[in-house]
Amino acid sequence: MPSAPGLYLHIPFCSAICPYCDFSVLKAGVPARTRFVEHLVAEVPLAAREWRDSRPFDTVYFGGGTPSLLPPGDLGRVLGACRSHLTLATPAPWVFLEANPEDVTPDACAAWLGLGVRTLSLGVQSFSDEALRFLGRRHSGEQAHAAVETAQAAGFDTVSVDLIFGLPDQAPEAWRRDLATAVALGPGHLSCYQLTIHPRTRFGVAARRGRLAEMPEAEQAALFELTHRFLADAGYAAYEVSNFARTRDHESRHNRKYWDHTPYLGLGPSAHSLATTSGPGTADASGSPAARRWWNELRTPRWESRVAAGDRPVEAEESLGPKTLATEAVMLGLRTTAGIDLDAFAARFGVDLLAANAARVGRLVSEGHLVVRAGADGGRWLVPTASGLAVADGMAAGFELLLAD
Amino acid sequence: MDPIRNFCIIAHIDHGKSTLADRLIQRCGAVEAREFRDQILDSMDLERERGITIKANTVSLPYAAKDGRTYELNLIDTPGHVDFSHEVRRSLMSCEGALLVIDASQGVEAQTVANLYLATEFGLEVVPVINKIDLPSADVERVMEEIDRDLGLDPFASIQVSAKLGTGIDELLEAIVQHLPPPKGDPGAPLRALLFDAQYDAYRGAVLQVRLFDGALRAGTRVRFMHSGQEHKVEEVGYQRLKHVPAPELSAGEVGYVLAGVKSLSGLAIGDTLTEAERPAAEPVPGYREAKPVVFSSIYPMATDDYEDLTKALEKLKLNDASLIYEKDSSAALGFGFRCGFLGLLHLDVVQERLEREYDLSLILSAPSVRYRIVKNDDSEVWVDNPTFYPDPASIKEAYEPYIKATIMTPERYLGSVMELCRERRGVETTFNYLAAGRMEVVSQLPLAEVLFDFYDRLKSITQGYGSFDYELLDYRLGDMVKVDILVNGEKVDALSQLVHREFARPRALRYCERLAKTIPRQQFKIAIQGAIGGQIIARTTINPFRKDVTAKCYGGDITRKRKLLEKQKEGKKKMKMVGAVEIPQEAFVAVLRTEDDEDGD
Repeated sequence: MPSAPGLYLHIPFCSAICPYCDFSVLKAGVPARTRFVEHLVAEVPLAAREWRDSRPFDTVYFGGGTPSLLPPGDLGRVLGACRSHLTLATPAPWVFLEANPEDVTPDACAAWLGLGVRTLSLGVQSFSDEALRFLGRRHSGEQAHAAVETAQAAGFDTVSVDLIFGLPDQAPEAWRRDLATAVALGPGHLSCYQLTIHPRTRFGVAARRGRLAEMPEAEQAALFELTHRFLADAGYAAYEVSNFARTRDHESRHNRKYWDHTPYLGLGPSAHSLATTSGPGTADASGSPAARRWWNELRTPRWESRVAAGDRPVEAEESLGPKTLATEAVMLGLRTTAGIDLDAFAARFGVDLLAANAARVGRLVSEGHLVVRAGADGGRWLVPTASGLAVADGMAAGFELLLAD
Repeated sequence: MDPIRNFCIIAHIDHGKSTLADRLIQRCGAVEAREFRDQILDSMDLERERGITIKANTVSLPYAAKDGRTYELNLIDTPGHVDFSHEVRRSLMSCEGALLVIDASQGVEAQTVANLYLATEFGLEVVPVINKIDLPSADVERVMEEIDRDLGLDPFASIQVSAKLGTGIDELLEAIVQHLPPPKGDPGAPLRALLFDAQYDAYRGAVLQVRLFDGALRAGTRVRFMHSGQEHKVEEVGYQRLKHVPAPELSAGEVGYVLAGVKSLSGLAIGDTLTEAERPAAEPVPGYREAKPVVFSSIYPMATDDYEDLTKALEKLKLNDASLIYEKDSSAALGFGFRCGFLGLLHLDVVQERLEREYDLSLILSAPSVRYRIVKNDDSEVWVDNPTFYPDPASIKEAYEPYIKATIMTPERYLGSVMELCRERRGVETTFNYLAAGRMEVVSQLPLAEVLFDFYDRLKSITQGYGSFDYELLDYRLGDMVKVDILVNGEKVDALSQLVHREFARPRALRYCERLAKTIPRQQFKIAIQGAIGGQIIARTTINPFRKDVTAKCYGGDITRKRKLLEKQKEGKKKMKMVGAVEIPQEAFVAVLRTEDDEDGD
């Protein structure tokens, strides 16, 4: 993969735990947060020792949790540690920061900009007070509105707005209003996530007890379609199942790395990392694609105690051989509007994906879920349509890869 | 030579036949207590579980009677189902008497009557045995009335027993000696020995069970099977205790086993008569009927990798089951398998269960079919039991299907429903007779094909279990058959094709389509399921596609988890069969090919 690696930093703190969230998050006071920052700073050299990729990191992503809860000074310390132990791009990597609307003030924005933050990603979720209450959010629709305006005015390269749709009984009209409000504010980037009920969340418990139900599939599909149509009409191009950008420059250059096997290093509890272990720039130049993925301890206390012991806080890791990588490449590629570069796929895995799945692709093309078209470079691409994105998981499961483990 | 009694035990299902047999064996000391397992005669697991006897077994019991003499009591077990009526007849033919077991609480039931009629048809002396008299619900007086009224037997000749507790067994043994006649026969006449059963022994080959009507049989005798013409030299004869006990000779009237270097059961015909090659009898024992397969189905392994195992399992099963025939078959949808012929549906069921249970195989069976006789336009004749080989309809002049004479016993109150069932199944010349007060015999000429699909279950259900059913093949008659194909997204699923009477083509096709629609998982595109006769679509259902299944988020931490889910899904798909770019799970074939009706009301 040609592009430079990305760096992810997980900040697990939230002022309240949202009932739908299954990330590694916790509520804790200032002393605990300060202690956490010490440990995160300490993890950097531990991780750096094992990171073999010499290319500079060109993105740094503060995710969570709510990174905006940390004082900018703490974020700066973490960045400083990264700069000392890892190779960051010069003059500076593109820094992303996730923020809650209630934390967005002109002062905070100025401080973040000073740290090099270029994309501010706002956890708006909805502009409707009722929806926000249901989702357990601390801010109001009005606050959300104001936060986006403040961020826009502050001068970030990209302001991104996160929205959630598919709340039980949500009328298409209500969701359309949220979209319209977001579009009217004109952020460079939008993420629209279908509400997913995870088992180990408060919503999950409510669902098990029969007090909450996921939206029926037909309605989900209708809202998904509405989202893609509405945003396309408003000038936001989808580039992934849930992600939309006003121009190519506003697309997330960090998240893209997850989708095309660009290496990434994750620090902090639950963070995942990927390193390619064969091919150009690695010890094994055999050409057979291979990679390693590992992930940190999920829970903050356990992660902290391992870092404190001078131990890499890795919970587990896995080796990815050609077949696993190809499975992921199809699974991830079908989630992006760029689709799968068939020639690159063939060069990487030695498999003609189209020939190996002729009947199936034929069905999916005639169903309007996929198109095969020439890319800008003249190569062949397998590209999902909007309706195809909606069934990307099922499509991916049907592909035959003809590869051994 | 000891005096001999040859007898069998006949009973309605669950009236305690096997337990009674166990008790007789025990009382005669033919088995040590420590060797004793309940229901010794039903040796297969399957028989124990279902409570039915599939293969007849026989045992000779030496009994010291009160008259001071020792009798050789030959208990000849009989299989308990219509498919094996052939074997039942052979067994009954080897007896002079029968114990008719009646449950003291249940009283006379459908099969009690049917069994009595069968026994009297063979001229057997019948001793009624009232069993389970220890139960609180036992009503011996009522049962005695029924014996008099419904069976026309002398209730005072009946013996009351509790096979479970051993009560009345001594009286029963005395009754066997006193009331059942000894066999007749001329030990000096040319040999006539009826082959009424055979078992396969891994070390000794086929063990033949015979009843001698005339003559004598000893080691060294060269014997000829009068129907098959095969000749063998007898190596050993003896009595079938619980183990084989060799004897110098078997003579007229006796029952015993014969080893004659017969390697497997496949060439043997139950009902054949053994005679001496040097001095053959003029006539064989009468009543021989060849056991021909009448029901055909293809068996495929669920996992194509299991084909070799299936091959080996069938070879082994065949050693023990002379009536099973099979040959290689293959299907585009299901891969390699075997086309098998069975004596009937229960036989098919038994073979399937034995393959699955004893050989640990998961199987898919195609829709059972009968064998049709096809006369083509050029007057050539072909026999077809596999829809795959059904000729082009345009080339067919006439098609003939097998008919049976079905004999149904039913209490009078269900007569209307039974007549209706026969009518629904294209029965002709349906008649009925009064057997006894309240009991009817319905005789109908039915196409065998219509009996293959849940006829027996329906009969049981409309008669609340009282109906019993027997059949024999009659002849072939002109029929209006069509081949119904099932198409998934326009592609034929060959394993689901079947031959059906035109009248039933549409409902049958629709039922298949609906069952498939229920079991094939939704995909990303619409799936059309059609039933067709040639190019004409006669039934149709669709499976609507998925419209949304994608998860919203997929970032660093989600990828491994998501991929693992996907790999699991792919693993599941590997076991599916691809037809027209649609994955069909094996369960779909199993569900579609079930013969019984949906009873779940949907």
